[in-house]
Amino acid sequence: MALFKTRAIVLKSINLSETDKLTTFYTESFGKVKCVAKAARRIKSRFGAALEPLSFINLIYFGKENQELYRLNHCDIIASFQSVRENLEKLYTAVYFLELMDVTVREGDRQTQLFQFFLSALHCVERQGRLETLIRVFELRLLALLGYSPSLGQCVVCRKEPMNGWIGFSCFKGGIVCPICIDQNPQEIRFQKGTLNYLKKLLSSDLKILERLKFPRTVEEELEYITHRMILSHVGRELKSYPFIKLMAEIDAPILEDAKNGQTGN
Amino acid sequence: MKRPAALQELIAELQKLPGIGQKTAERLSFYLLRGTKERAQRLARAVEGLKEKIVLCSQCHGIADKDPCDICSDPNRNAAQICVVEEPHDVYVFESLGEYKGLYHVLMGVISPLDGVGPQDLTVDHLKSKVEENPAREIILATNPDMEGESTAVYIARVLKPLGAKVTRIARGLPVGGDIEYADPVTLKKSLEGRGPA
Ligand SMILES: [Zn+2]
Ligand SMILES: [Zn+2]
Repeated sequence: MALFKTRAIVLKSINLSETDKLTTFYTESFGKVKCVAKAARRIKSRFGAALEPLSFINLIYFGKENQELYRLNHCDIIASFQSVRENLEKLYTAVYFLELMDVTVREGDRQTQLFQFFLSALHCVERQGRLETLIRVFELRLLALLGYSPSLGQCVVCRKEPMNGWIGFSCFKGGIVCPICIDQNPQEIRFQKGTLNYLKKLLSSDLKILERLKFPRTVEEELEYITHRMILSHVGRELKSYPFIKLMAEIDAPILEDAKNGQTGN
Repeated sequence: MKRPAALQELIAELQKLPGIGQKTAERLSFYLLRGTKERAQRLARAVEGLKEKIVLCSQCHGIADKDPCDICSDPNRNAAQICVVEEPHDVYVFESLGEYKGLYHVLMGVISPLDGVGPQDLTVDHLKSKVEENPAREIILATNPDMEGESTAVYIARVLKPLGAKVTRIARGLPVGGDIEYADPVTLKKSLEGRGPA
């Protein structure tokens, strides 16, 4: 038996029995980990709000190394992202990030860099007003960190630099394709060359300055199409939480109008 | 030796119930077998009645013997208050207190993206129409204080407040018999925010 101590973000918690919970964490030191939390469903549980999805916690668990299920020993909250929980568009953006982490990262994959990126993305959800760009960057950079960075410099087939006009993008081949090499395959996306520069910017910009990036509306739509298609192609299906972001953005809108008249922020 | 088919069938059915494993299912089955015929029939009738006699109340979506249910058809209940809960059994939890005199509205679940449950799968539209009929009502949101319950409460408040409804949320905080020293910061903060006069 070994005792493991690390910082972690709660991805999801499901009820295992009348009293116990099964919680999935993304940890700083050990990647994705699943733990059984005994008696966590009791209202006086010592784990309290720490096992709610999205909580950023100090975690201690134990078990044999490389086993599938560990036993939760202790957790305490570092940050609960309360303001995210109170804004539905922010909340479901964060839930989408949690779901993406859960379905794309395999257990045993250890990457401190990915943890840092994930945590700062959640902080950005909390602080930033425009979530659209953040979602695009999260999709693109998560795939890059997992080793699926798209090739944007030259055509993935003939290795030539793209000319002006339109270019293609193939999720399957993992990058851009020139008009000569493009398959007449409906899977392949076409967009204006100008969009490519925005895509490169998304791949390299610091998360903290995202809010300062301005994209024309048409480019924004193209970017959503491209990055989300990459996710769909990687995961093989739509993510359950994704449609909720737009649904909730509509509900949140009138409240945001009110906030503008009142105090600043948000 | 193989058990008689009827016994085997009962064991198999009992085993499908939550919290009942092979051993317990066997023990219960042999217990019923040893008892009188009348006792077994009473149990069989009770199980049958569950599906045949219980209806969903068309007003509150709670479970009842008749539609509308006893609570919805009681003229002494305060129609100016509606307590919104997740599941039919939550109604009985509140009713067992004997304190609350208003009406209920059962959502039939909570918004839960990972389970594919959206607002359109709940009875939110019906609740909305109740508020449109009479905006002076107080809507008490009594969903669970977990992420799904909280976000469902935020969602309903967003939908109902523009209609002029008074929307309140049950207080969240320390459990009775709990210990401040061991409370997590979120719960402690909520208990401060939700404090009342001493
Ligand atoms: Zn080419
Ligand atoms: Zn009723």
